[in-house]
Amino acid sequence: MNRKLLTGNAAAAWGARLAQVDYVPAFPITPQTEIIENLSLWIDSGEMDARLVTLESEHSMITAAGSAATSGVRVFTSTSSQGLLYGMEMIYTVAGWRAPFVMVNVSRGLSSPITLEPDHNDIMAARDSGFLQIHCATCQEITDSVLMAYRLAEHKDIRVPAIVNQDGFYLSFTREPVSLPDADRAAAFVGEFDPENLQFKASAPLSQAMAVLGGGPYSYFRYETHLAVQRALSVYEEVADEFASAFGRRYDIIDNYRMDDAEYAFVMMGSFATKAHDAVDSLRNAGWKVGLARLRLFRPFPQEKIRQLLTARRAVAVIDQNISMGMGGVLHSEVAAALYGLKNAPAVLASYIGGLGGRDISQVEFFEMINELKHASDKSEPLPPRLLYTENELTEIRKLQAIAQVEHADIQQAGTGQAETDRK
Amino acid sequence: MKTASRIVGTAFFMTGYEVQDAPRYGAERRGAPIFAYVRADKSPVNERGIIRQPDLVVVADDTLVGMPAAGVMQGIDEHTVLLINSHENADTWRQRLNTAATILILPAREDIKDRAELPYIGSRCAAACAVLTNVISRDVFTSALAEELEQLGEKIVKQNLDTALTSFELMSPYAGIVKQSGLPSAADYQQPGWINLPFDDAAISAPAIHASATSVKVRTGLWRTMRPVINYEKCSGCWWVCSTYCPDGAINVTEAGLPDIDYEHCKGCLVCVAQCPPQAIEAIPEHLAKEQEMSAADPSGIKPPGDSA
Amino acid sequence: MLTFSRQEPGRRKQTGNEGIIMTSESIVHFHRMKDMPSSHLLGTGTPMCAGCGGLETLHNMYDILGEKTVFVNAAGCMTLLSVYPFTPFRGGWLYTAMASAPAGAQGVRDAMDILLQKKKLSTEDNMEVVVITGDGSAYGMGLSATSAAMDRNLNFIYLCYDNEGYGNTGQQYSAATPHAAITSTSKGSHGYPGFKKDLFSIWAAHRPAYVATIIGAEPLDLAKKIEKLQTMTGPRMLISLAPCPTGWDYDPKLSVEIGRLAVQTGIWPLKEYSDGKIKHTKIPKQRKPVEDYLKLQGRFKHLFEPQRDEAGIAEIQARIDAYWTRVMA
Repeated sequence: MNRKLLTGNAAAAWGARLAQVDYVPAFPITPQTEIIENLSLWIDSGEMDARLVTLESEHSMITAAGSAATSGVRVFTSTSSQGLLYGMEMIYTVAGWRAPFVMVNVSRGLSSPITLEPDHNDIMAARDSGFLQIHCATCQEITDSVLMAYRLAEHKDIRVPAIVNQDGFYLSFTREPVSLPDADRAAAFVGEFDPENLQFKASAPLSQAMAVLGGGPYSYFRYETHLAVQRALSVYEEVADEFASAFGRRYDIIDNYRMDDAEYAFVMMGSFATKAHDAVDSLRNAGWKVGLARLRLFRPFPQEKIRQLLTARRAVAVIDQNISMGMGGVLHSEVAAALYGLKNAPAVLASYIGGLGGRDISQVEFFEMINELKHASDKSEPLPPRLLYTENELTEIRKLQAIAQVEHADIQQAGTGQAETDRK
Repeated sequence: MKTASRIVGTAFFMTGYEVQDAPRYGAERRGAPIFAYVRADKSPVNERGIIRQPDLVVVADDTLVGMPAAGVMQGIDEHTVLLINSHENADTWRQRLNTAATILILPAREDIKDRAELPYIGSRCAAACAVLTNVISRDVFTSALAEELEQLGEKIVKQNLDTALTSFELMSPYAGIVKQSGLPSAADYQQPGWINLPFDDAAISAPAIHASATSVKVRTGLWRTMRPVINYEKCSGCWWVCSTYCPDGAINVTEAGLPDIDYEHCKGCLVCVAQCPPQAIEAIPEHLAKEQEMSAADPSGIKPPGDSA
Repeated sequence: MLTFSRQEPGRRKQTGNEGIIMTSESIVHFHRMKDMPSSHLLGTGTPMCAGCGGLETLHNMYDILGEKTVFVNAAGCMTLLSVYPFTPFRGGWLYTAMASAPAGAQGVRDAMDILLQKKKLSTEDNMEVVVITGDGSAYGMGLSATSAAMDRNLNFIYLCYDNEGYGNTGQQYSAATPHAAITSTSKGSHGYPGFKKDLFSIWAAHRPAYVATIIGAEPLDLAKKIEKLQTMTGPRMLISLAPCPTGWDYDPKLSVEIGRLAVQTGIWPLKEYSDGKIKHTKIPKQRKPVEDYLKLQGRFKHLFEPQRDEAGIAEIQARIDAYWTRVMA
């Protein structure tokens, strides 16, 4: 077994290399750039038989990715944050083309204010586009998910692009042990890309992605894309089985940890889930019946699995590393929708917003969430949504505001160093 | 037609009605068939979008009636009044269309020789609507027309008004023939025929055309109001002029080396008329060309000599 | 030698880069108007306006390029060339978005090159990639993508049909709008106050393989240029002035007349750039006064009615004169 220390970015690049991609349209953006640097190096050294072209923007990059995929080659690309948003017009467009390719998104908080640290608002903005979404929690999972994503995206019943998501810094720049699949077995697992009848060649006329007139044809094409994305739920199971038998690692649509007899559960996505993993162990040791459900597949949304998993629990904490302004956590809304009307749905479905802009979630915060869940479910009272934010953090921002000369009584005090004592 | 619908809409509004009017663009290109609609009611109008079952359908260009793609006959039933601006009479249209609707004719003016005069058709149609519904007075119609055409200047307003008011006389025997109908009733309705959309794989459901030049199935010849006609006695056979300059590539060249206009697709821009070196191409109003076509014992004036196709 | 039957455009030899041998004598196949193709590849029945100058350029260009072409289209009037299930094309067509058609061309070209190299596409199945955009995209939103495609020396053809405004949305002014033109966002008494951007020079500054201005009203000049660029590889860039009856407000039958006057008055110089040199391909011996061109168009009506704007007309004329003095020096 070829096990080595790799960053999330290197793991993503290895995924593309092992999938034997033909074409990499690229554009640099922190914290994604290392992916294309790795690929560029391998292509230059002849270790990879592919072509990398740096476009002048993500909008162009995603256009080229889509147009190459609809011309019959296997395409890999990657972006992050502002780049994903800059290309957003084309994210929706190429999904509508039914252009199958894989894009790694390295999640990073969105402007404004601008930050390099991770959260999931970027990837949530692509939620409704027609891209499949696989969310990773470890560097190992990134390599493996890229391989699986090609199988899903290129499947003849699906044929839409796929995003494999990893968190900036927490995975992208963090080295972890990764077992690299054997190159031949990886190639055999991914297989050849068969573009079927959607490929330009002189011997077959083909006009792609034209306008439609009227809501009838438009509804047909849009809904067929939706049905194709939903197909990925069943195709995923086949692909995961095959992957497990080829490489010995099983990835379920929802990664469950100690959920069997859990009265309380965390529901979340991404790399912060491994923190919750430890918190679950700690809480179990302290006598709490707690489990963790981490969604790997976010699009298509595994509604039925969520129902089976969360009914008959006392209370559930959905932790969103994103915020829909004026509404709250996106995952919370979707889980709530899945559970609507079920008789034995959890009495309390609490929403926690945490980890925005890379803000850490500490072990004690996980413990306290379960404590809040218990009190709320004991009293059968709903819990208001909460931003994970401490008094200390408020004090710190007050100090910054004092330097910024923000005019406010409390802030002027913070500037004199008396804030903490006075406010108590 | 957009202007016609706005005149009618404004006239209803000035009369005290709640109104909705809107144009619908198909190809969104000048010359392409267009329709517009007006809803008017004493109570607020809540229904929206295309009218499914119109009380009155006014057709300014009668060449569109028989073309399924134009959708003129959609939703027409026995309660509908169909007013056609045409040189032909109502009986001819009744036989042709086999419809339960009431057919009326707004006699098309014989004197239109130039497409520059065509805009008045909208005003004439609008005036006809006013009479047939019998709720818009001549004075109100006059004000509505003046308001909608104000930007074009007094002279054009007057020309339009003079033309439009002739419709008041022509249509007066049918005043009030259009009856207001309501929306479908929830107590007794026909089911919409829903299905669950079947899944089609991408080879079928991707928005892609796997055929060559299917656009020829679109009869853009419908757009034409003036028809270029080649006088082969004058034609000097320099096809490379007209065939090259025709923006649509709608002038073919016969084996004998003569130009042959594809009337299924010619949009009637008349570039060929303007460019023909021996001035062998003449523009004639489409309806006259059609009449000639039907009555002509000798169609050789239209088809190039020696063309068997 | 490039040889093909005049009457059978469908069987013409492929014009891509693979396997083409072209001697210098074979260039300028088009000596006279009679050499223009007598049958047309682009399907009729497209929803372009009657008298569309852009369509006139496109259909003449397609006749010469042949059907082994993938057109990559940006948002503009020609978005509606293909409306499901109707397409006028016999080869390929891909609709992208307003800003990124050259990037779409990059993906198609790269994919085909990769497949050719990996022997997964036969040379017979290879196609030429052609971007089509309006001036709104070429002069504005898509300029960055176009510049970058030239930087990358992308092997493609680019056609900008320039109708001097955002025609598809009702002719608002764009960076291609000429001075004094009335548009739906410059309706004031003096029209558009700005000046048409010199896209030819901007493109030529990138030193691509080829840049040319063309117009549908001069089909021979157009045909010679298309034929010439087929012997080249790399970015081959075309701007076609596209007289627009709808946006410029004139009777559609005048489309060719107006186009020809644009050349004869010198307001639309026909020229080409290659190998670092600019050559004018059709120099009007005696330039007609620009008002001959202006007065046929409703968008310039305010220069003549209610009274003649001598200063306004003279300013436009002076700019044309200065241009020709400079380039003929």
